[in-house]
Amino acid sequence: MSAFDPAAVRAFRFVRAGFDAASGTAELVYSFDDAHEFTERIVFPGAPPLPADRRPAFDAALRLLHLMAGVSYYKAAVPPEIRVETGPLDEATAVLCEQVYEHGLGEFAWQNRIDLRGRVRFPRGAPAPVAPLPLGLPRASLVPIGGGKDSLVTVELLREAGEPCTAVWVGASDLIRACAERTGLPLLNLGRSVSPVLFELNRRGALNGHVPVTAINSAILVVAAVLYGHDAVVFSNERSASAATLEADGREVNHQWSKGYAFEAMLGEWLAAHVAPDLAYFSLLRPLSELAVTRRFARLTRYHPVFSSCNRNFKIVGERPASRWCGQCPKCHFVFLALAPFLPKPQLTAIFGRNLLDDAALAPAFDALLEWQAHKPFECVGEGRESRAALAALAARAEWREDAVVARFAREILPALPAQDLALAPLLEPGGPHRIPPRLLAVLHAAV
Amino acid sequence: MPAPAAIASHRFVVLKFGGTSVAAKPRWDNIVELVRARRREGLRVVVVVSALSGVTNALQAIIDAAGRGEPLDDRAAALADRHLKFVDELGLAQAPLLLEWLARLAALCAGPRREGAQLPWQAEVLALGELMSSSLGAHYLERCGVEAEWLDAREWLRVAPVPNASDWASWLSVNCHCRPNPDMVAALARRAPVLITQGFIASDREGRTCILGRGGSDTSASYFGALLAAQRVEIWTDVAGMFTANPRQVPSARLLRRLDYEEAQEIATTGAKVLHPRCLNPVREAGVPLWVKDTNRPELAGTEVAAHATRGPASVKAISARSGITLVSMESVGMWQQVGFLADVFAIFKRHGLSVDLIGSAETNVTVSLDPSENLVTTDVLGALCRDLEAICRVKVIAPCAAVTMVGRGMRSLLARLAPVLAEFGALDVRLITQSSNDLNLTFVVDEAIAAPLVPRLHALLVKAEALRLDDEHTFGPSWESLYAATASRLRPVPWWATRREALLARAAQGTPRYVLAIDEVRAAARRLKAALPAVDRWFYAMKANAHPAALAAIAGEGFGIECVSAMEIDAVRAGMPDLPVEQLLFTPNFAPRAEYERALGQGIRVTLDSLHPLQHWPELFRAQEVVLRLDPGHGAGHHDKVVTGGASSKFGLPLSDVSEFLRLARDAGLRVTGIHAHLGSGILEAGHFRERYAELASLADQFPDCARINIGGGLGVPSRPDEHPLDLEAVGRALAEVKALYPQYRLWMEPGRYLVAEAGVLLARVTQVKRKDGYTWVGVDTGMNSLIRPALYEAYHEIVNLSRLGEKADAVCEVVGPICESGDVLGTHRRLPLPREGEVLLVATTGAYGSVMASRYNLREPAPEEAL
Repeated sequence: MSAFDPAAVRAFRFVRAGFDAASGTAELVYSFDDAHEFTERIVFPGAPPLPADRRPAFDAALRLLHLMAGVSYYKAAVPPEIRVETGPLDEATAVLCEQVYEHGLGEFAWQNRIDLRGRVRFPRGAPAPVAPLPLGLPRASLVPIGGGKDSLVTVELLREAGEPCTAVWVGASDLIRACAERTGLPLLNLGRSVSPVLFELNRRGALNGHVPVTAINSAILVVAAVLYGHDAVVFSNERSASAATLEADGREVNHQWSKGYAFEAMLGEWLAAHVAPDLAYFSLLRPLSELAVTRRFARLTRYHPVFSSCNRNFKIVGERPASRWCGQCPKCHFVFLALAPFLPKPQLTAIFGRNLLDDAALAPAFDALLEWQAHKPFECVGEGRESRAALAALAARAEWREDAVVARFAREILPALPAQDLALAPLLEPGGPHRIPPRLLAVLHAAV
Repeated sequence: MPAPAAIASHRFVVLKFGGTSVAAKPRWDNIVELVRARRREGLRVVVVVSALSGVTNALQAIIDAAGRGEPLDDRAAALADRHLKFVDELGLAQAPLLLEWLARLAALCAGPRREGAQLPWQAEVLALGELMSSSLGAHYLERCGVEAEWLDAREWLRVAPVPNASDWASWLSVNCHCRPNPDMVAALARRAPVLITQGFIASDREGRTCILGRGGSDTSASYFGALLAAQRVEIWTDVAGMFTANPRQVPSARLLRRLDYEEAQEIATTGAKVLHPRCLNPVREAGVPLWVKDTNRPELAGTEVAAHATRGPASVKAISARSGITLVSMESVGMWQQVGFLADVFAIFKRHGLSVDLIGSAETNVTVSLDPSENLVTTDVLGALCRDLEAICRVKVIAPCAAVTMVGRGMRSLLARLAPVLAEFGALDVRLITQSSNDLNLTFVVDEAIAAPLVPRLHALLVKAEALRLDDEHTFGPSWESLYAATASRLRPVPWWATRREALLARAAQGTPRYVLAIDEVRAAARRLKAALPAVDRWFYAMKANAHPAALAAIAGEGFGIECVSAMEIDAVRAGMPDLPVEQLLFTPNFAPRAEYERALGQGIRVTLDSLHPLQHWPELFRAQEVVLRLDPGHGAGHHDKVVTGGASSKFGLPLSDVSEFLRLARDAGLRVTGIHAHLGSGILEAGHFRERYAELASLADQFPDCARINIGGGLGVPSRPDEHPLDLEAVGRALAEVKALYPQYRLWMEPGRYLVAEAGVLLARVTQVKRKDGYTWVGVDTGMNSLIRPALYEAYHEIVNLSRLGEKADAVCEVVGPICESGDVLGTHRRLPLPREGEVLLVATTGAYGSVMASRYNLREPAPEEAL
């Protein structure tokens, strides 16, 4: 097996993209120079015939998908040149791609010690397109289900607001399927197969790391919305997803940049100008803090035995909580802590199968969540003040205060914190920028 | 108690059938057959039935909807429809009894009493399920020509009021009188010889309908049995009785053929779901035997619960685990010998309506357990309790816990035998231990997360320690898997050595002791693996299992690489097979010195790391290298604690908490982690284990950006006892393919050892002396733990046969021992053999793995040499 040398690659090529209506399969083809060709396939099962008036929108959406999904392959070598052989890009499209490739690969670049600034350059030259016509899509939302608490809160908020929804997910996963089935909504499971050539190059030394998967999934869902007829793609990213996880060499690195508001706004505007003015793309939870989402989720008890926010890539789940919650990653720690003020203790420990707050060995991990003499973890977790308020609430509760992590917090940390910063209530208030249609704002602001 | 004469002259049997047993026509045909068989025995039959499956839930949904003020008509219509369809399915022309109840349902749903859903109304609604199913049954029995009559259970099951019962319990969770009733016997004897009646329902003194509540139908059957002083009560269900453990957790759990009432009660209370514990008391009081039988497999013996005189040896009968337990630990803050502390504490529990199960107490502490009742989990009652308790003590809530209970009469007399079983708890955090005051159980409360894997291990240890006396065939029946599992059809093939006896005896004639390794069997095992597990991209043989050059050559010839754990193993492979390409070697050492890593890396052999130490202290060795990282995901499985290779007390693997530090060091050292590995025990005979562990490892791989391969180790089990089922390789193949499809980016590696060589090897030893002592027959052979240390080290079981007289009647129970001056030098205990004579050859089977390679010269006795066949 010969080694693959990323530095030897000159150009990343967008070769072609096509859609086979009979099988509902989108084929996205890329290559490095003339040497390695990659084909990614996205399967849209049971796709209905496309009405002629949606054809231009569909083509634009498919092109977006081709551009977004390329990031997985581009990153294997990060070559100096990008060639788009499917026709020239207009300025707005080129800028969108450059933003996604540079910021979405921020963590990858940091891990691999690469500076992407100025390196990602998409060719442009086409004039801005004429404004697309409204598509008059049926009023229905595609809600991507991730297996965690957030999308389930979104589903229930939309249900409350009387919005018709379809629960959608990409790829095979027991965990996500179980959550999606619990919603009782119509289900749509899209298939995605990454080119095996990429795996082969990875074995031979290609660059690897985190890709902006929400950008790819957003593009897949936009294609699905046009194809199946939905007028909204509703994500479940909350307020703190926009915050940078780390600053290095004067650049901000956000672990989940494509879940942030900047990407959401940029893609939303691009869709209005290139696909359809009446296809909504937004995150329903954007004005909410993690704690506010968690409090809502605490009441949704029927999801408690099936969901998981754990960062481990569980695709097969067993009956035991340990097959959904590793108990060792910051997501497990944070979700446990954030649910604790809102659930009876036996109900919470039944979800996780253990009591993470009574494990003295986890004190440093919780310190990081509190941002107490430590940095926030490189993960999508709530803000330090949310964790501090939650722990302060537990320190006042008889059934919690003897637990190792809570007792230590009460003894060593709490006295040093200003009391006025520890209230839960202000953290539960919605706020901040969002792109939620006005008709849905009421359910968000309704009393929990 | 002896039944009054008037009762004894009429012999009744009570048969009870649950919801799934009455919801399909073929099941009713079974019932008819069983009723006829009982009639042929000359018994009068009372059939007690539950509602059709799902109907009680539907009736409860009507009640809930009424509580919310919703319309009920659609729900009632759906229920009527379900029953009328079933009338058709049963081929009944009409069902007048049923129509009455349907009319009653409609009236209850429409009438003014539905407003507010009062308890008496609820009881009447809930009762309709059984009233309808029993009516259908009466019609069907009649149609089949059985002389049967419908009986209203409410005529005879009368509520026995309980002091202080809540209003709810007085209607929906009642108890009944159950002293033998000669008037009832006389009255029922005047009716048809087969009566069909309802479970779950009774009436109060005013004749109003009440409900028995949870476990109600079994309890109704038990009440009828007691009132009629029946010959027996038969509970017909979907499994052949009670088992030594939950068969879902322990497929090798044995059927309990006979139990006394108290043991059965204890087993039902501590976890078994097959019987509700409350149904045992009435039959015990009346001395009526109770059978549990499988409706689908009536030929199976089932469990008989009765007042058996203890016949067999004292034994643990069952082990179970209940999860969702909450412990409340209360530390007294008052005075030394504070009077009334316990009374104050329990008064607070009573005030909050919480019932305590287990109790442990000390001078200044009392700890109690709470079962996961509805209100504990869904309301803030625990918080409120703790706030009140805080006034008198320091409180700590410990949750979630599981109570692991061993049940058996006379547990205290079994303590000595339990020693190796209790050792299992050594490494665990035990929160509470209680021994029931009736000496029927011993309970350990542990963290819930560790309980599930614990039960199968403890069950196996109980068997091995002979605390669970499987040799008592009067009490213990066949295993659940032999009765029910799909694997039951997989027969163990005739072992190769049984068909090549002459050749083996000829080898023995050249001198004993001697190991013989059938190379063609090694090759066959390798081919079997490759054929059944195509998802595996690369195979390695863990040569520590057997380093015989002929075995290595045969396995390498099948395309396997070789996994070495020492530099000396590497040297042996390279010397024996100089042409084997270096990428076919894998070096996976544990606590090896630096020099061995240097030697392996120097030859270009891929290395597996499993600790931080090498990167912390010798980072320069690893610059620009690729390694596989061995992880410890935190739990292991295997046939003995010394061969469990994952988990907190294991020396193998990098703990997950060290992964980020390892990656940081790797980044600094310029090292790439291109694969991850975990070896999760050995001797695993269950296919599902591989699916779970492979998926678990794959779920970890995301953290390693350069990871391209997953090495799931070996662990493919080889049965050691003749009654164990071989691993279902096809099922393992399907499981691996399923997981691989979900994680296509990783290539799959496996490195079996034992599986390839174990069964290919046998140890031949000659009988030296036979001695009778202490009631045992000791058979000495010319080698022991110096050749084969596994029985002494792991309590491993190896089948032993008398090869000189293979196939002859096994007329003696022998302890087979070696000549080493060590009391642990035992190769096999309690073996049934044709009584060996001096000079005869015994064959110890399945010794190809970890036999010769672990041999020693203890006592300066040369171990058996190993030769290829």
